[in-house]
Amino acid sequence: MNSDRFLAREAIGDFLAKLIQTGYTVFCPQKQAGVRQSVIFAPWQKGQEILLDKATVAPKHLVLPQSEVLFRYTMQKDSAQPEKVDVSLDDSQASTPTVLFAARPCDARGFAILDRPYLEGLFRDPYYAKRREALCVLTLTCSSGCATCFCHWTGAGPSSPEGSDILMTEIAEGFVLQAITDKGKKLLAASQLPEAGEKSEQATSARKAAWQSLEKAPDLSQAPQKLAEVFDDQDFWRHWTQACLSCGACTYVCPTCYCFTITDERLGKKDHEEGVRLRSWDTCMARHFTEEASGHNPRPDKAQRMRNRVSHKFSSYPENWGAFSCSGCGRCVTHCPVGLDIRAIVLAALAATSPQQRAKEAS
Amino acid sequence: MRIGVFVCHCGSNIGGTVDCAQVAAQAALYPDVVYATDPMYTCAEPGQAAIEAAIHEHQLDGVVVASCSPRMHEPTFRKTVERAGLNPYMFEMANIREHVSWIGRDIAANTHKAAELVRLAVEKLRQNSPLRSQEFPITRRVLIIGGGVAGIQAALDCAEGGIPVVLVEREATIGGKMAKLDKTFPTVDCSACILGPKMVDVAQHPKISLYAHAEIEEISGYVGNFTVKIRKRATYVDWDKCTGCGTCTEKCPSKTSYDHFNEGIAKTTAITIAFPQAIPKKAVINKDFCRQLSGKKCGVCAKVCPTQAIDFAMEDTFVTENVGSIVVATGYDLMDWTVYGQYGHGRYPDVITSLAYERLMNASGPTQGHIVRPSDGKEPKSVVFVQCVGSRDPAIGRPYCSGFCCMYTAKQAILTKDHLPDSQSYVFYMDIRAPGKMYDEFTRRAQEEYGTQYIRGRVSQIFPDGLGQMTVLGMDTLLGRPVEIKADLVVLAVGIEASKGARELAEKLRISYDAYGFFLESHVKLKPVETNTAGVFLAGVCQGAKDIPASVAQGSAAAAKVLTLFAKETLASNPQIAQVVLKRCIGCGKCLRCCPYGAIKSSQVRGEEKAEVIATMCQGCGLCTATCPQGAIQLAHATDNQILAEVDTLCQL
Amino acid sequence: MSALANEERRIVGFLCNWCSYGGADTAGVARANQPTDLRIIRVPCSGRVNPLFVVKALLNGADGVLVSGCHPRDCHYGSGNFYARRRLEVLKRFLPILGIDPQRFSYTWVSASEGSRWQQVVTRFTEEIHALEPAPRFEDVEPLEKALTLTQEKHRPLGVGKQDWLAKLKEAISDKLADLDCVLGWQQGRDLLHSVPLFIQSADDLQKLRCDATCHNNLVRYLPDFKGRKVGIIVRGCEAKSLVQLLQEGIINREELVIFALPCQGLLDLPLVEEALGRYQKLEGLEITDSALKLRVDGKDVTLATADYLQSRCLSCPNDTPVLADYPIGEFTGESATTAQCPELAFLDSLSLTERLGFWRACLSRCILCHACRNSCPMCVCRDQCIAESREPHWQSAKASVKEKFFFQIIHALHLAGRCTGCGQCQANCPMGIPIFALRAHLNRVISELFDGYQAGLDPKAVPPLLTYAQEEANIQERSWE
Repeated sequence: MNSDRFLAREAIGDFLAKLIQTGYTVFCPQKQAGVRQSVIFAPWQKGQEILLDKATVAPKHLVLPQSEVLFRYTMQKDSAQPEKVDVSLDDSQASTPTVLFAARPCDARGFAILDRPYLEGLFRDPYYAKRREALCVLTLTCSSGCATCFCHWTGAGPSSPEGSDILMTEIAEGFVLQAITDKGKKLLAASQLPEAGEKSEQATSARKAAWQSLEKAPDLSQAPQKLAEVFDDQDFWRHWTQACLSCGACTYVCPTCYCFTITDERLGKKDHEEGVRLRSWDTCMARHFTEEASGHNPRPDKAQRMRNRVSHKFSSYPENWGAFSCSGCGRCVTHCPVGLDIRAIVLAALAATSPQQRAKEAS
Repeated sequence: MRIGVFVCHCGSNIGGTVDCAQVAAQAALYPDVVYATDPMYTCAEPGQAAIEAAIHEHQLDGVVVASCSPRMHEPTFRKTVERAGLNPYMFEMANIREHVSWIGRDIAANTHKAAELVRLAVEKLRQNSPLRSQEFPITRRVLIIGGGVAGIQAALDCAEGGIPVVLVEREATIGGKMAKLDKTFPTVDCSACILGPKMVDVAQHPKISLYAHAEIEEISGYVGNFTVKIRKRATYVDWDKCTGCGTCTEKCPSKTSYDHFNEGIAKTTAITIAFPQAIPKKAVINKDFCRQLSGKKCGVCAKVCPTQAIDFAMEDTFVTENVGSIVVATGYDLMDWTVYGQYGHGRYPDVITSLAYERLMNASGPTQGHIVRPSDGKEPKSVVFVQCVGSRDPAIGRPYCSGFCCMYTAKQAILTKDHLPDSQSYVFYMDIRAPGKMYDEFTRRAQEEYGTQYIRGRVSQIFPDGLGQMTVLGMDTLLGRPVEIKADLVVLAVGIEASKGARELAEKLRISYDAYGFFLESHVKLKPVETNTAGVFLAGVCQGAKDIPASVAQGSAAAAKVLTLFAKETLASNPQIAQVVLKRCIGCGKCLRCCPYGAIKSSQVRGEEKAEVIATMCQGCGLCTATCPQGAIQLAHATDNQILAEVDTLCQL
Repeated sequence: MSALANEERRIVGFLCNWCSYGGADTAGVARANQPTDLRIIRVPCSGRVNPLFVVKALLNGADGVLVSGCHPRDCHYGSGNFYARRRLEVLKRFLPILGIDPQRFSYTWVSASEGSRWQQVVTRFTEEIHALEPAPRFEDVEPLEKALTLTQEKHRPLGVGKQDWLAKLKEAISDKLADLDCVLGWQQGRDLLHSVPLFIQSADDLQKLRCDATCHNNLVRYLPDFKGRKVGIIVRGCEAKSLVQLLQEGIINREELVIFALPCQGLLDLPLVEEALGRYQKLEGLEITDSALKLRVDGKDVTLATADYLQSRCLSCPNDTPVLADYPIGEFTGESATTAQCPELAFLDSLSLTERLGFWRACLSRCILCHACRNSCPMCVCRDQCIAESREPHWQSAKASVKEKFFFQIIHALHLAGRCTGCGQCQANCPMGIPIFALRAHLNRVISELFDGYQAGLDPKAVPPLLTYAQEEANIQERSWE
């Protein structure tokens, strides 16, 4: 039976307000006065504007914050026995039920890509897991592509459900909400939204139209292999990274980049010492990312670092998990200060002849 | 780390307004502190022994002493921890006396503040690392600036100790103020008779090079290796040729030059030799009064000079000397007493300074020792001495005592009676300060044997009575009534100030001076000869008012400091210097541009440009550390991380 | 225990060892009663005090910071306090744009003999800090959501369409290309609206050359990477200044450079154009004139008023003529200085201190710490050795708090003081559109005020004002504390 619900455009505010009432924190796309053209997912309060724009930065921070405390340590002493230190650790993790409203399919798919290493690998990351479990993703399907996005190249599309709990498709009068997961079903069931009924069909055709509006995607199935082939082609990578500034814009706007660094930060208190162990976003585009304690750096050159990023997304992650670790959101393309385009690099790798081949051809 | 904290009571100095036991208990809670206690006197022998014992007993690898200023006892405690086997730089001090207990009475606030200052020291210490000095060779020569009695004494002592001396004197002759004096108190022996031989010794000593009529132009370098540029001011007389015969001074037609040596009580010739016993005894032309040099036709001196020593085309020349140490003995000048309107602003010829009076009494002076009034050349019958003219007078910004005026005034009163037996002397004084050996007895002699009338009180006004005498109005505060005295001559005991140019010289030497230009010693009691610049020592009145024996003693003391410094072949460099983190340095050279010592050079390390610190030249100011954007050059013991730890700690507490 | 926590304010003092620390000792010896709030950090010289220590203290909750050194000319190290005076004065004038009350920071001179002066300074400063509210904690400041109103008064004519000089430029480059390792230029990026750097090594590469209002990357950023090789570069007014500044700092060598100079026509603010276009799939046409931007987007024609879509800094740019060129190509208007101000700065000037702090708090909460601002800055020559990421020294925590983000912007701005050539890459490349250029623009204004109109990047032989000093500073009036 069709459990789809209908959300009228003017009812969004009430719907979200009710979610807040039931204990959710609701993240919505938001703009900011005083800042030029950037949209981020931020906690929404009743009365705030409702925006459905694609965000500048993927909502990855909801499960993987820019920096988070892994644990807090406290070193207590007793004046009478100053040599004795009591160390206590607090690694309790708090999470609140959260609704992510108006994510895009590429954002949602980002969660699915993050889930594999964080939840399905050798270790299940408790910090990530706690947040992920508490998160319900309401995804707004896209009605068209855009100049930089390429989700359909990577095995998805403008209405892919992967990573979403609820898909939300815009039709004439509003939105049809379709539960994808049990979590989504529960949320919809608890909502007092009317059933969508035959509006579901309008949604289906809207999605189809979106698919049809896209240009044909190139075949990337050979990408893992081709990238492995050009891995040692220094000239290839130097050529494609000449303009790279080694900043972290591409990795930090990305829904799927999940690398982090760990640091300890000390906090002096009046009569004892405290500190935290932090996990923070890190970028493989920076030189210090692979710098070792000895000073040796296996990736001192930006070409090697770009090779790592592209190869990870289109070659090594697929080898490990069977899918690209790129959801094709195109944010890295949009926000690269020097317009480096990962699509162009992957296509060039597909078209590349390896140095060995070149040598063969030459002889 | 294992840190021990010692919170000193300093008797009641700290313990009176800081709960030291409470601070120690608090310190025991600080990270890495394994031992904390509150001794009564940490710097005393038992206190230091207790630190050593605690280092052994608790295996301490760092020590914090909370007590007085580190400017006082940091070196003491560094030695203490070193004796116990620690690196001396694994030590920090918290100043809870000068900066806490002595400046506030609120015990709770003080205790809280002291505990926080201890925390700062602990946090800094936690990031200290052991530092080791380097040895560097030294230039075993000394520069002495100023050839007064203090400088002469220092020069002779150093030279006798085997150290080559460069003595620079601004005037044409050495001897300073003492050479101008007639007799000296309290023995009333002839100043020239006791100073003269020393001056001759200076001239004859093979280890002393004398630059008279010369000034310090530039000083660079650091202890052990100073480079000094000396300006030899043009004398217009080739001193290599001049024999000091004096023919030129007899024939010079320009006879109205201001006579500096005689304090202006007479005129002199444009070409002069300051006084018969001058060292060097060489002629100098005062170009302001020389006809030839003023563009008129003259050249008499050149014509009469038997050795053709006159050189009207002479210009200032420069010599550079390398020395390892510097003694500053620049003495004093009289303050400008003409600010006193009540004493006539300097308009009355018969109101003179005591230094001018010395020249009047001096047998080698312009009057051959006959005391006469400048106005009419008559012998005075009534002489009034006024004390404290420009001393102990906050009204004109001179709150300090000039130290020796009480004594020389008594001497001058005695000598006046000797010269003019039927004269009567009066002394207006505030207090008689005569604490030296035989000094009080001497002032009593002036009163009791020589009948000098001492009147306790200030002079309110001096003016001519129109009948050839000066009327001196004052107050006798002992009798509580006004006094009026008719005087033929009034002698003002004018207060002293640092000699002209002292401030500029201090800036070249990078030493401090007080509001009156007197140079600042390193510690008012314990380091009265040292300055804050290593290798620069003070002698004589340039450091503060003192009489001849004290100046001589300090001259000898400064010489002893020089000899001590030079007793070693090499000096240990200060290890608290900048260090380059090669990995971080990008060779941008910003540090090179601003290093005040030129102690950073650019060098190639594996083909890359990097900064390199010249360890013996770096003085540890840290300007480079504040300048380097990458934090690639860090001042040891004041690294970014150490100061950040202090800032962060303060802001988090 | 008295209620100290409530009574005392947190005042941090940095005192030089030789004069002021001694002066404080002298005050102690004289038992000169003083307020207890101040905590003294002993440093060898006031020149050791990195202004960032002061900012760090103020951002972390200090109510006041006092720096005291030897009197000018009395520095134990000769000139440390002269440098300190310049740097600390720049800092004092920088604080207001951050929203920090400049009264919270003071610097002065106290000699070792001036115990009573020290007493007076401490007492007065402490009283002044008590007269202010306790310092606001940056985390607690109400974020200010205020629309950034930019008034655009003037812009340089774009003059596009007169592309005859592009051929001349290509010809000039073609003549020199054989002698050069590479020539830095621009080419079209993913569509007509976007240009990206081009590294010309062949005639084929040269054919891709594009020079117009979309070419926003400052290519001077790449020059240090080419040190030791002979390269050509195309520059316009502000980019030439960056180049001159790098020459002045000795980061690049003049003899390794061939400079092709173009008149600047102003640059488009691309994110603004994109915002106006909305989500599009294909951009098929672009024509730029002085008055209009004509675009063909997804089969539709869109026309925008050019003046509304220029980078704000171009509006306040004084001159289109490159200061240094081997091959000047095209016509230079050589316009004289404009009085127009960076509009973001004018906006900040209109806010109160509290509003400014709230404004930065709000804006910077969006910062993702990608450091594109830094990495695209031609003057950020530290590159991989930036103190933002180091532990030795440990200026910044990895904690992604708004405070740390703000502090990074302050570090960047202060490291650019006297060096920023105003190319605006920091802001143009911020993915989050945070108006950070205003901080640099304000510092440029301060440097110009203090040092007789000094501007970075005009003279390769000039001495940067913060790497030198004057014994008497014409424009710095120190506090008398009378």
